[in-house]
Amino acid sequence: MATANPDLGKLGDELYSHWERAMGGWWDQVLENPSFLDAMGKNLGGAAQARGKYEQGVDQSMERMHLPTRNDVIRVAKIAAMLEERMLQQEDVVLGLKDQLTRLEKEAVHARIEAAEARLELRETLAAIRGELGRGASSMALATAGTRRRKGNG
Amino acid sequence: MSTTITDRVVDTARWLASDPVSRARTGQTPHAVIFRDQKACVRYFAPATALFPPVFCVVPLINTWTVFDLMPGRSVVEALTAAGVPVYLLDWGRAGPEDADLPMSHYVDRVLGRCINRAIRHAGIDAIDVLGYCVGGTFLALHLARNPSPVRRAFFLATPIDFSRSGRLSIWARPETFPLDTIIDGFGNFPQALMLDSFRWLRPTGSTQKLKTLVDRGGDPAFRELWAALEAWNGDGVDFPGATYREYIRGCYFDNALIRGGWVMDGRRVDLRDAKIPAVALAAGGDHIVPEAAAHALAEVWGGPVTVATISGGHVGVCAGAKLPAAIVDWLGA
Repeated sequence: MATANPDLGKLGDELYSHWERAMGGWWDQVLENPSFLDAMGKNLGGAAQARGKYEQGVDQSMERMHLPTRNDVIRVAKIAAMLEERMLQQEDVVLGLKDQLTRLEKEAVHARIEAAEARLELRETLAAIRGELGRGASSMALATAGTRRRKGNG
Repeated sequence: MSTTITDRVVDTARWLASDPVSRARTGQTPHAVIFRDQKACVRYFAPATALFPPVFCVVPLINTWTVFDLMPGRSVVEALTAAGVPVYLLDWGRAGPEDADLPMSHYVDRVLGRCINRAIRHAGIDAIDVLGYCVGGTFLALHLARNPSPVRRAFFLATPIDFSRSGRLSIWARPETFPLDTIIDGFGNFPQALMLDSFRWLRPTGSTQKLKTLVDRGGDPAFRELWAALEAWNGDGVDFPGATYREYIRGCYFDNALIRGGWVMDGRRVDLRDAKIPAVALAAGGDHIVPEAAAHALAEVWGGPVTVATISGGHVGVCAGAKLPAAIVDWLGA
């Protein structure tokens, strides 16, 4: 039974996919054809040359009128870029130095901590030696006093 | 309520006539610029509480950084910070005619190196994880192979490595038909409008498909908003600096030197085998710009261990989905 509102959407989709396949196939042949690509390349090259010549002509006219040309502006922009690059290079150097300084600072702090620890260790050893020496001296003094007492009694 | 196709087409046409693309606002996630290197800068997105190590993201030189921050609810950086990841994002800025002579090493070595170092300094860590998207990933891979960077691990998203497997782009960018020098000599930089056109012509029926999808899903306001945000981002490209473009096309497309080797940049050899850190090569299954094979080729040439994987989505659409932030969080947590 025929419907009052035929599904135009579905029909449209089918028509479109047929069209796309047909056109796609045709374009594939054209866009990969060496003669077409050769002609397109020449066309593109011609357009680029024409653009180059046009810019050259505009520059010459501006120069004749003693006005800044496109090339003048480009030259100024290049100088600005060069200066900015130099500043960035300096910034790189400063950051490199800062890194080195941080590393050196860390190393110096580390060395100072190690030296302090060594001194503390030395101090403790010294104190221990002193203690032992003190104990040795007092026992020697006691022994000497004992000998004297024994000699006195004798 | 069901609507007829005519209603939907009329409604979509009315909506498009109201110029929604100019009203779309990308890059809304709050952040701070922590460092500027001439035109480039490092943007920092802080999480409420850091639960993961920070990640440094590199987007392509030819796109604005907002591809990672399309709109609230559809933003890679927003999802990552919500999960507790501090994000540093390299914004290359916009190249002008004064940048036409800058060699590739300026971006690969100097800008990338300096920005990664400043991010590390800001985070107060010794080494960082990095993520590169598309050509941003290619530049990042070159950087990591050439420089002893303080980088722990790398994540390459839809990053072309084997340019001979880059689909139609590899057919177009051949020395016999692509007049590279004439183009750069004439234009100075490679114009973003030409770049945009070439991406459009990769899939000639893509524009029609895009409009059809808009008609089909136009009843969903969130979809319309995303559509407008993607269009706004897509139309806001950046010129490719001339000298860098020359080196990039020669090295990557003409010589396929990332695979074949033999690339000498600024007097120094480049070989991805020199990079020894672990890496992930994540491809987008529906990517027509960087096909899976071109991205997964990293495993063939990278010096360190490589994990290859694929998630669903297109080249740009992958940045608007929830799967990518989840994959990055998993990687950071591993």
